[in-house]
Amino acid sequence: MASADGGAYSYSLTVFSPSGKLVQIEHALAAVAGGTTSLGIKASNGIVIATEKKSSSILIDDSMIDKVAVVCPNIGIVYSGMGPDFRVLIAKARKSAQAYWKMYGEYPPTRVLTQEIATVMQQATQSGGVRPYGVSLLVAGWDITRGPTLYQVDPSGSFWAWKASAIGKNMINAKTFLEKRYNDDISLEDAIHTALLTLKEGFEGQMTEKTIEIGVITVPTTAELEEGKIGGETGRPKPTFRKLTEEEVRDYLAL
Amino acid sequence: MQHVAVPHAQPQQRQFNPYSENGGTILAIAGANFSVIAGDTRQSEGYSIQTRYAPKVFRLTDKAVLATNGFAADGNMFVKKVRQRLEWYRHAHAKDMPLRAIARLIQTMLYARRFFPYYVYNILGGIEEDGSGAVYSFDPVGSYEREACRAAGAASSLVQPFLDNQIYFKNQTPAPGTTHPAHLPLSHVLSLVIDSFTSATERHIEVGDGLEIYVVLAKGSALQGLDAIQGLSELTTTDDGERMFVIRRNLKRD
Amino acid sequence: MSIMDQNGGSVIAMVGKDCVAIASDLRLGNQALGVSSNFQKIFPVTDRIYLGLPGLATDVTTLKERFRFRVNMYTIKEEREIEPETFAHLVSSTLYEHRFGPYFCEPVMAGLSKTPSGGYKPFIAATDLIGCLNFAKDFVVAGTASEKLFGVAEGLWEPDLEPEDLFETISQTLMNAVDRDAYSGWGCVVHVLTKDKVITRTLKGRMD
Repeated sequence: MASADGGAYSYSLTVFSPSGKLVQIEHALAAVAGGTTSLGIKASNGIVIATEKKSSSILIDDSMIDKVAVVCPNIGIVYSGMGPDFRVLIAKARKSAQAYWKMYGEYPPTRVLTQEIATVMQQATQSGGVRPYGVSLLVAGWDITRGPTLYQVDPSGSFWAWKASAIGKNMINAKTFLEKRYNDDISLEDAIHTALLTLKEGFEGQMTEKTIEIGVITVPTTAELEEGKIGGETGRPKPTFRKLTEEEVRDYLAL
Repeated sequence: MQHVAVPHAQPQQRQFNPYSENGGTILAIAGANFSVIAGDTRQSEGYSIQTRYAPKVFRLTDKAVLATNGFAADGNMFVKKVRQRLEWYRHAHAKDMPLRAIARLIQTMLYARRFFPYYVYNILGGIEEDGSGAVYSFDPVGSYEREACRAAGAASSLVQPFLDNQIYFKNQTPAPGTTHPAHLPLSHVLSLVIDSFTSATERHIEVGDGLEIYVVLAKGSALQGLDAIQGLSELTTTDDGERMFVIRRNLKRD
Repeated sequence: MSIMDQNGGSVIAMVGKDCVAIASDLRLGNQALGVSSNFQKIFPVTDRIYLGLPGLATDVTTLKERFRFRVNMYTIKEEREIEPETFAHLVSSTLYEHRFGPYFCEPVMAGLSKTPSGGYKPFIAATDLIGCLNFAKDFVVAGTASEKLFGVAEGLWEPDLEPEDLFETISQTLMNAVDRDAYSGWGCVVHVLTKDKVITRTLKGRMD
């Protein structure tokens, strides 16, 4: 039975192999491990999530590729693995965040949203006629109860909170690198530089503002919170997550 | 040849509604030797304001004031007819009709129209022959009662329970060994009247614009701080009788 | 005759200085017939949120259970207590889900919400039967005596009342308003919420 292609248990998802594995999930994990490296670091005053984006051809307009996505004003996600699967998940995550807003008049806490996404990903491991999502996610967010939090979600639907983590091609090396560099009172600015250094370790080719994407969570001060969660000019909630512009990324790379 | 259907003449019904409702609120409070009768001056129909100054409180004699509320046209006509009857009384008896007699007259006049009533709630205020302040309140068909205070009109349900509490001291227990006063001082009554109307203006769309407060003082009684009130003018015509004043104030116009 | 007036009853909530109060009558009627003088219309949601539900009695009971369910689910899922503002939105969305076949209730809420600096801020709100929120800064009223409550509250309420003065103000407002309403009365219950305790008192009223 045992063969190179996974054998008789690799086609139907809902069937365990005698050794207790769902082989399709392992394949999905392999798809993630083949994807470009992404990482996240939680700092004392914020979170950074970053990824490299490589395009297969110089003819692709890489300014149109978004690997770091905003879900709602307080949450952002980066992925490693299959782009199209990520797009579908982001659409579901955004819908879920808006549904939460409709019900409670505020955006979901990071953990609640992460759980929602994880549920979606788990369902793809137990339903008929579907395959697991070929992505791992790093979810960075801020909320009033838990402050800044960083979660990783895997194709199986399992999720953990991290101080720092890496997913994708160089995740083993990157995590070892982060373990050496990390300390609990690192500032957001230092964390961004550490993130870039970590990416540089396994980077092939030139690191530029075109080949790097960064998103940050900035923790609001008590004074800012006391002003209320609605911004003066827009009437919309003040965002705590934002993507860095190409100019900002270039400035960080130059340092 | 084509057949053409001739439309049958359908029976038609037309209707005229002789009544309207013009909003506003009136209020009267009796003191030991004075009476206060007040009303706002907004007149409206539905959501439209017809005028911001249409008096609802009228001086009848030197010691009687009548406030009308409901259908303004009926109110005005009713006041006109009461005044006519009071003048006939003067011609016949060479004196003004006493307040209690005016009250009974109003009942008779209202009940005379039992089956086509004046669509009006009346409150009569003034000084009785014994010199006490009095308030009489009526329903549109003449049922009446002498009381210490009464609110009527659009915001009566807002004002009356407030008055129950502040004039009759309802739901309040006096301190041991004391009793609640039967009558309040004039200055206190005036501030309650003003508070009642500002409150009603705040919460009721048909109340606002202006406030007219008539004050009748019994023969020989002191001004009781009335002279310090803003917007006061005296209407007294005789030197030895009751004194009558009117206080005109602005209310919010929105 | 409106379904909203079938069983009678009224609720009011008021803001004070670092405290809030919510109060209701205790009558349950069937039109003009009095049925119970001990019908609860105010329910604790958390230690810091109280919810008043005047309206059709069957919907009062159903909604109370619905909100208990939804708040429990929220607490378990989010591992935190719901804040008054969030709860107000939950009430609003729950009622709006039944936009075209509504519950005949007009909820009134009172609570103390946590500020980012760790203090507590008074919070009151009310909605209509389809969930349109009204965040007032002074007082909110609902029920068959709502007009009367508006009138008396507008006359008696003042800003920054201490808990005991707020208790007196809300009690007098409610008692005198329901005494002029045939569908409300038969005794009252008053809750005053402060940061460290809830004062609950039952008041005797006219029984006519």
